[in-house]
Amino acid sequence: MSLEAIMEFLPLTEPVLLILLSLAGQPRHGYSILKDVERMSDGRVVLSTGTLYGALRRLLDEEWIERFEEQDSSRGRQAYRLTPQGRRNLRLEVGRMKHLTRLASLRITGKEA
Amino acid sequence: MFSISVNIYRQLLLLYPASHRQVFGEEMIAVFGAMQAETASKGVVARSLFCVREAAGVVTGALLEHWRALGGDPVWPTFPIRRFTMRTEFRFPKATAVLMTIILAGVMVAIKQGEAIVASVPHVSEAVGTIHPVHSVFLGGIMLTLAFFYAVGLIGWAILFAMRRSGVHRLAETSAGPK
Repeated sequence: MSLEAIMEFLPLTEPVLLILLSLAGQPRHGYSILKDVERMSDGRVVLSTGTLYGALRRLLDEEWIERFEEQDSSRGRQAYRLTPQGRRNLRLEVGRMKHLTRLASLRITGKEA
Repeated sequence: MFSISVNIYRQLLLLYPASHRQVFGEEMIAVFGAMQAETASKGVVARSLFCVREAAGVVTGALLEHWRALGGDPVWPTFPIRRFTMRTEFRFPKATAVLMTIILAGVMVAIKQGEAIVASVPHVSEAVGTIHPVHSVFLGGIMLTLAFFYAVGLIGWAILFAMRRSGVHRLAETSAGPK
């Protein structure tokens, strides 16, 4: 996927960004993603299952994440993990946000000084 | 009263396209079951919020999936999260009215699709005998529930308005310029 194609997806919505960040540390199944997103946002973002699986569906379609069967689960539970492309895109988005916050800090500091 | 059973949630998932249900249906039900078990020990408000969030999430998600299946531009899901951001202008009733209209339209489309499916399937099967459609009773219940909550919401808002706590009066008294 070209950089231009990736930039079409940015900026990511907050729920999608939090889902990707949740998967950045380790693979997770659906319930674990929901709880991690809630924890990361201090309870501010509480996803419904419909919202979660809508986002997962699109991330799977775009090959930002992949689905696999958990080996240590007796029930054959499905889990999700970032693909290398997904990780690269997440880095791009975080870099974009860093640039924005750095610029904002400079401007705000300049105004206050 | 303020709970969605797994069976009702399973019925709500029928709003999704079949392709989505085949891939994610059982997984969504399992996650919903875990969330519901966790919420069961909480208060009425938490359970009500959970119920509204899940119902809205399914309806919105189903609409987006149908939109996607029809070849529409993919949309990142953004709703629902816990808080509404209040703007400087009072927008909540308008946004709610639009959202409820969209949801109602989605439900009506689903009802029509359901009726078309029933009409296309023979009502008598040699293996199980006569099949009696029950979806109309179920959907009638949903419509009644929606009407009930809509009426409760209206009454609640009217009470808040009468108590001058709805936010309208405060915004009307807010001056745009410096004091």
